[in-house]
Amino acid sequence: MSGDHTDATIARRVRRLETLLEEKGLVTGEKVDEVIDAFLAESSPANGARVVARAWTDEAFKSRLLRDGTAAVRELGYMDGSYQRLRVVENTATTHNVIVCTLCSCYPLRLLGPSPSWYKSEAYRSRVVREPRAVLAEFGVELPPGTQVTVWDSSAESRYMVLPRRPEGTAGMSEEELAGLVTRNALIGTAVV
Amino acid sequence: MARINDVGGTQGFGAIDTSDDTEPFHADWEARVVGLFNTLRGQGVFNTNEFRDAIESMPPAEYLAASYYERWFTAIRVLLERKGVIEPGELDD
Amino acid sequence: MTDRFPPGTRVRTFHHDPPHHTRLPRYARGKRGVVVEPEGPDELPDISARGSGDAPVEQIYAVRFEARDLWGEGDHHVVLDLWESYLEEDLAEDSEDDLAEDLEDDLADDLGGTADER
Repeated sequence: MSGDHTDATIARRVRRLETLLEEKGLVTGEKVDEVIDAFLAESSPANGARVVARAWTDEAFKSRLLRDGTAAVRELGYMDGSYQRLRVVENTATTHNVIVCTLCSCYPLRLLGPSPSWYKSEAYRSRVVREPRAVLAEFGVELPPGTQVTVWDSSAESRYMVLPRRPEGTAGMSEEELAGLVTRNALIGTAVV
Repeated sequence: MARINDVGGTQGFGAIDTSDDTEPFHADWEARVVGLFNTLRGQGVFNTNEFRDAIESMPPAEYLAASYYERWFTAIRVLLERKGVIEPGELDD
Repeated sequence: MTDRFPPGTRVRTFHHDPPHHTRLPRYARGKRGVVVEPEGPDELPDISARGSGDAPVEQIYAVRFEARDLWGEGDHHVVLDLWESYLEEDLAEDSEDDLAEDLEDDLADDLGGTADER
């Protein structure tokens, strides 16, 4: 954890870097602002939740999503211009999927928003490939014995997103209501809906 | 000689703090670092793999002590120094 | 471009320890897995990380490993995205057969004839 002192020091250094780069004509403050705004505007877990709700209510969309995630989410206006490939992995009665990046912090940013701190932590990255059931239990997820667990370690330019199981008793719900049930952790696989 | 970032299966990092922080940035400078990274990469000053390489090449103790975006800042500084865009030590107090 | 390793191919990861950036984590070096699917080509990051712009483009494969093969225990799977250079076809069964044949030939040589002649 950074103390206030460390934070003030690095904040000063980042400002100095930005000033230097402006002087050299490499960046402008406005350009950096734009980039940050775009980063935040394009990236939200509400996007992933909407994709899941559509898959739960539209079988044809779901099969397209599982076959070619990138093309399917582009139908809904997501991941335009991204060079990355989206692979959606489906949880079923007998299988559970969970996502990690052990080497750094690769994550489907556009569909899930900026990642939570725990996703980037050494504790999560080191353990989930080795003992996923113990890790899932720490998140409060208890899987029935016999469930096949698959851990997807994103080591290249594919980004993984979990398609959670649709909960019982939601038959009458609208797509929007269903999207409201889907949490960020459910899209990573550290929660169920 | 695996690098310090290569932690899959390493023991001893302990329990996971599962609290669900929803704020994308914990300080304004973190947002600036992301903005600078994306701008410089977009201009071809460095590519993403060079950036990853610079993070992984941090001395292990420094890597582990640094926060996520402190690592980003270190990598940007190292790459800009290596490429002669800034002078070594130019950002120090 | 025909993929060198179609889905279902048994592969083995290289057991090397490069002094540079790589995307083959140490826990999966020298391990046996099965190709799930090709993911599309991309620049080899080991070279691209040098920043010289001459990285070869290779197919990437999702490769599934059994926890037991990675850790000696466990019943889960781990899938990694690996560049073609990190992989070779796993001909383990064949090579064990070859090894057995070689041993048999050696034995035959020692006995001054082929196994068939005995």
